[in-house]
Amino acid sequence: MIESILLVDDEDLFHLVFEDACSLLDITLNLTSVSSSEEAEELFKQWFNNKIKKPACIFVDLNIVGSSFDGIEVIRKLNFEYGDEVVAGIISSSDEEEEQARAIKAGAQFWIIKSDEIEPRLEEFKRDYEDYENRTKSFKVYK
Amino acid sequence: MKEIILNEETKKTLLSIYKNKGIGLEGNILKVINTSDDDEFKDYINTCINDDKNRRIKRLEVTKKVQTQNLDLQSAKDEIERINEELKKSLDETNKAKELAEYDLDILQKKSQYQLINTIVNVALVVIVGVGILTTLMYMITMFSGKDTQIIASAWTNTISILLTNAFSIVGTIMGVKYLQEDNKKN
Repeated sequence: MIESILLVDDEDLFHLVFEDACSLLDITLNLTSVSSSEEAEELFKQWFNNKIKKPACIFVDLNIVGSSFDGIEVIRKLNFEYGDEVVAGIISSSDEEEEQARAIKAGAQFWIIKSDEIEPRLEEFKRDYEDYENRTKSFKVYK
Repeated sequence: MKEIILNEETKKTLLSIYKNKGIGLEGNILKVINTSDDDEFKDYINTCINDDKNRRIKRLEVTKKVQTQNLDLQSAKDEIERINEELKKSLDETNKAKELAEYDLDILQKKSQYQLINTIVNVALVVIVGVGILTTLMYMITMFSGKDTQIIASAWTNTISILLTNAFSIVGTIMGVKYLQEDNKKN
């Protein structure tokens, strides 16, 4: 089980879907959800200053409506400005290879395609998680 | 992960609330409660976990359904906006075509009017010149035949003076019509 997860996604309904899926699949017991890149960066700053504990894993939506920067930029900032100890990846309905290449450059470790049937992908991710944590697994797209 | 170990009194209270009021624990906290040494409490926690699971499954289904409906609504909205845009374009084009047709019709009407005026003027000219020539002929015949020319002379003078007076007006009208026709051709 993953100790704690942060979800960055502008769609509030997806927060509920993700929370229930994580609980039903025993992925984590500790999930925090935020709706914008700015809120996520604010949390990074607080971790950086040791004010709050870092989550073990971060899922970021690619296009975060209403935010000044996208999900890939969130991951880039996380990895290059706030330390790279956290497992981070994209969760998006997009499957564009160009964007995935950008995500790899930003330090993303995985890419989960968002759809109605997200549970099997999350289950597969759960199985791979330990390798992501140990940094022994290369970038993977969960389709 | 650390587990919560509840004392006997708390367990009894939780079981009693569940039995009497049907209120049980829910949420992820259930997964970290230690139940190893008490079968009754273990059953209670398992029941609560199952209830919580069922609720989550139901909620997940509903949320996914709402999500799909939202997507459909968004697609429908986009489609309506696209159709509206097309309708607006078509309306603009129709209005332009209407204006052009009205303009052409106006030109056509004016052209017919000018043609009618032209015909009237030509006929009038023929009649006037014809009357002038006829009166002059009659006057000459009367003169050469040696008859009294008093009445025909005054009639001829009257006719010629009327012709001269009106000639300028007729010429002016002809020039005006020609000018308008040329202007029309240019447009």
